[in-house]
Amino acid sequence: MRLRARGPAGAAALTRLVCLTAVLAAVGLLPWLSGRDPALTVLRARSAEQEPTAEALDAVRRDLGLDAGPLSLLGDWLSGLLRGDLGISWVSGTDVLPSVLSGLQVSLGLMSAALGVAVLLACALVAPVLVRGRGSAGAFGAMLAAVPEFLLATVALLVCGVWLGVLPTSGWQGPEYLVLPAVALGVPAGGLLGRLVADALPAVLDERWVELWREAGVSRARVAAAALRRALPPLVPQFGMVAVGLTGGAVAVETVFAVPGIGRTALGAAKSQDLPLLQGCVLALLVLGLAAGAPAALVRRRLLGPALRDAGLTLPAPRPVRAHPAVPVALGAVLLVTIGWGLLRDPYTVDATARLLPPSWARPLGTDGLGRDVLARLGHGAATTVGTAVAVSLAGLLLALALGFLPRVAAGAADIANALPPVIVGILVAAATGPGTGGAALAVALVSWPPLSAHAAALVQEVRASAFLTAQRAIGATPWWILTRHVLPSVAGPVARHAVLRLPGVALALASLGFLGLGAQPPAPEWGLLLEESRAYVERAPWAALTPAVALALLAGLAVASAAYTQGRTVQHARRTSRRARLLRRPAPADSTAARPGSPSRSSRKEVSLDGNAT
Amino acid sequence: MSTPVIPPPRRAADDPLLDVRDLVVRYGPVTAVDHVSFTLEAGETLALDGPSGCGKSSTVSAVLQLRRPDAGEVRFEGRELTALTERELRPLRPRMQPVFQDPYGSLSPRHRIRDAVAEPLRVQGRWDDAGGPARVAELLDRVGLEPAHGDRFPHELSGGQCQRAGIARALVSEPRLLVLDEPVSALDPSVRAGVLNLLAGLQEELGLAYLFICHDPAVVRHFADRTIEMRDGRLVAG
Repeated sequence: MRLRARGPAGAAALTRLVCLTAVLAAVGLLPWLSGRDPALTVLRARSAEQEPTAEALDAVRRDLGLDAGPLSLLGDWLSGLLRGDLGISWVSGTDVLPSVLSGLQVSLGLMSAALGVAVLLACALVAPVLVRGRGSAGAFGAMLAAVPEFLLATVALLVCGVWLGVLPTSGWQGPEYLVLPAVALGVPAGGLLGRLVADALPAVLDERWVELWREAGVSRARVAAAALRRALPPLVPQFGMVAVGLTGGAVAVETVFAVPGIGRTALGAAKSQDLPLLQGCVLALLVLGLAAGAPAALVRRRLLGPALRDAGLTLPAPRPVRAHPAVPVALGAVLLVTIGWGLLRDPYTVDATARLLPPSWARPLGTDGLGRDVLARLGHGAATTVGTAVAVSLAGLLLALALGFLPRVAAGAADIANALPPVIVGILVAAATGPGTGGAALAVALVSWPPLSAHAAALVQEVRASAFLTAQRAIGATPWWILTRHVLPSVAGPVARHAVLRLPGVALALASLGFLGLGAQPPAPEWGLLLEESRAYVERAPWAALTPAVALALLAGLAVASAAYTQGRTVQHARRTSRRARLLRRPAPADSTAARPGSPSRSSRKEVSLDGNAT
Repeated sequence: MSTPVIPPPRRAADDPLLDVRDLVVRYGPVTAVDHVSFTLEAGETLALDGPSGCGKSSTVSAVLQLRRPDAGEVRFEGRELTALTERELRPLRPRMQPVFQDPYGSLSPRHRIRDAVAEPLRVQGRWDDAGGPARVAELLDRVGLEPAHGDRFPHELSGGQCQRAGIARALVSEPRLLVLDEPVSALDPSVRAGVLNLLAGLQEELGLAYLFICHDPAVVRHFADRTIEMRDGRLVAG
């Protein structure tokens, strides 16, 4: 009751603050959370000759302040932070701040170039819709937005750098080094931007004022400009997602192209257990992601003015992308057949005489650098990746159902979870627990629940508002009875179906962590790891790299097609119910089904805006 | 137009069935129900009339304790309800049952009619596999539904049939008071009379008291023993 009196904004702001503090504390406490003794690592890194005697190790521990306990550790780190002192690298013994700043400089350059690519691509996606006046929404943009950066970067490296040899693929020495990383980073962001706008535009162009303006002889260019100005402001907050996607994608892209940016520095620090450097880098990446929201809010205020205060401008619901159910079924079938075939073969046997063989009848997809069968590794890799994705989705589903009953608490936490790319959470978790499948799963689970919980909250609200729940209390039903017999059955089914459809996105996020070495460890046949391993000999055996790349692209296609399918089905269902309502209820009462078309389509809008974050 | 208030016939020497005194319901700064008092005898029908937004629905949900009133007393069968906790109230709730305006919205769309009517028995721990189905069948028959209707879902029934199922569901709790919140206003004029006749017959047979929100003067005149009128949250002299 008190929460309601303070308003939803108050409660959400409070949880947002709590979550932000928790993230900051997790970063600050990293050396303590990791629970492993870094003294030996540090000693080895500092001087290879020194014997690891007990005294020497104790001296290192004292030096690092590890024996002082978590609270003083956090206090030291925070007070250092306020003085602008990020500590001293455990490995190199130099100050952390300069490394972070130089990395940040490189990354900001890369990100601005990528943003340029993204804006160009978005314009190219939106222009046809504007020129034709109406048109289908951005299915192509959705496809581009779903391709993970690490996959795009690898393919760009393969095609441009290796086969065509036109552009440098490694390092950071001049403007030509910028092209491939900027494209790899900018294309998914541009796909997301373009799709958001292209999805919103057709409904805006259907509004009556457009017709009126056209009949009054207003030029097409002015109508197009006005429609853009109408469509953009409500989307601006979602553009913040693009910035978050860029910070997450930067880690993968910088790693692939050996760009000395902050993402690569962070990953290197996580792998070498150089926790002070890692803390500095993650902090900088978090600030970058969160700060990107501020200009977005400013632009929105500038565009909307008083309409923002009055909350008077909402967009009409977008018309769904028409996806034939055959598309996800066909993609799924191709994947399933390949995986099933691969599962029958042996993925681990190393055969030194059969290294890097091209595809043949005996080995349909060739062999990798250790002479292992690529098809077998692909099939067994799917079992691990999909199995983990199922576990992650199940955890997300349970969390979402629980949080569906606390929408105000969930909203604040969701803001923070949305601002954290899975890769950065993956780095943090890997630094705390060591890289592994469990850590990767935890990282993806921590950030993948918000769309599900938003959906659950919308459904809970809808059920709670219905008269039949009031009728339940009137017959003397206990809250437990109402929850288990009425509320949960109405909510769990739709949210569970939503979770199933997000599975491919979760699997992609897991694969991107595997690619960066933060997930499953060799020799496990994980898809991201397969791609990473094959990069080393991509010139001699391109098929070994192409196979996991194609499989991941199919997975991305499956993610998009199934998302479009749910969206379309929701709208169809709403149409069917309202038609039935018209047929059955001539004196059309205001009932709960009439409220249904709005809420699920709103939540699927949210889903659309978020799944660019899944990579 | 003011009809003289006929004093209700005293059917028992003791307390009235329902005695509402100085009921107040507030929504933030707005006072929706402002010191409303009335009584209702067993077997009597009291119509509550007034323009929309005058506080009728807030009054009945406060009487039913579905929304706890901010001040005042609700005495039902001699017991003061506002002082009771939710847990203490639960065993008393079956004695006063609501019938809602929207016939579809008041039944769960996921449950068959038979299960919806049986649910109060299960909730109140009175279900047994021998007597339960028979009791449900008997009630469905009493409100004029075919046995086959029991296997359908609410959206497969007409509005009138659905409202009859809602009445059956209210009756299964064996109430003494039915709170009827515009029970026929969402129905076709052709089926209204049937539902009203059903309610009248049930009252005679079971001795039910009705607190009846209604807009239609013709219905009020035929159906109600007494009428009270609300305006801006207060009772006006009828």
